[in-house]
Amino acid sequence: MTTPTKKTKVLICDDSSFARKQMKRALPPEWDIDVSFAGDGLEGLEQIRQGNGEVVFLDLTMPNLDGYGVLEVIRKEDLPAMVLVVSGDIQPDAQERVRKLGAMAFIKKPIDADKARTVLAEYGILTEA
Amino acid sequence: MSSVSLNEDQRDCYQELTNVAMGQAADRLARLLDAYVVLPVPKVNLIENSELHMAIQAAEADAAVSAVCQGFIGAGIAGEAMLLFNDTSFADLATLMNYPGMNNPEALDREAELELLMDVSSLLIGACIQGIGEQLEIHFNQGHPVVLGQHCLASDILKSGNHQWTKTLAIEIHYTLEHVNIDCDLLLLFTEDSVEKLNNVIDFLLD
Repeated sequence: MTTPTKKTKVLICDDSSFARKQMKRALPPEWDIDVSFAGDGLEGLEQIRQGNGEVVFLDLTMPNLDGYGVLEVIRKEDLPAMVLVVSGDIQPDAQERVRKLGAMAFIKKPIDADKARTVLAEYGILTEA
Repeated sequence: MSSVSLNEDQRDCYQELTNVAMGQAADRLARLLDAYVVLPVPKVNLIENSELHMAIQAAEADAAVSAVCQGFIGAGIAGEAMLLFNDTSFADLATLMNYPGMNNPEALDREAELELLMDVSSLLIGACIQGIGEQLEIHFNQGHPVVLGQHCLASDILKSGNHQWTKTLAIEIHYTLEHVNIDCDLLLLFTEDSVEKLNNVIDFLLD
């Protein structure tokens, strides 16, 4: 007998609609999730506060509030979100900055299904059914 | 000649592809110079060739620059990458790259500047072009880099282009470095004929 499990709330936060689409496509099809989207950091925080971002895929370069800003607020307000940064800025400095701000992982763009699966498995977010 | 166009989804896609490619280029530059490269939002525009000088950052138009261009071609798509390097950047660049005479900017002659210019441009142009190509699954062959001029006005360099096409897809990336005075503009210009083919590839990605 299986007990119905709660779907994981996943938020994809990126200012590019192409990047959001690419991210969603890269997620494992068998992962039982509800996906929400945000086009900048402020929208992202709003979604996280509403509980839609248990797992967040966060871009760094965004208008209004960038990814670094989102990470700062999440830490300050102790919001319940596991953040995986997905970034085109892959400089060593950027990686170090987001780790210090509490991001769980740093994924280099462009994202693909293999990268997503590897990271999700590595952090135990996606476990074998 | 067909009229080329660019819709919002396509522009967004070009921007994102460029973002990734310029990030890879910046990463290489950052590791070479041990500095942090500030990444802007790339500007993507379909413009008349005659408007090219207006497309680049206004501040640069009357700045003294040294410039290199390099053609690329692959899968029926052709274009030109152009790096406009602000002349005030050479002193800091020489210091970061440990060039001889770095403590004495006067000693940095034209030849040394040319060498620095070629080093930085081959790195930035190569990484950007290959980065975009990889995402589109196109292998771009690069031509030889050509020096367009040293210590010229940016507007003059852009005017001097004797391009055969009238419209161009222009992607502008304005690179700056944190804490040091290094400033350059990378322009990727695709020929008018290439835009339609590129758009087809992009539409496939967007589908």
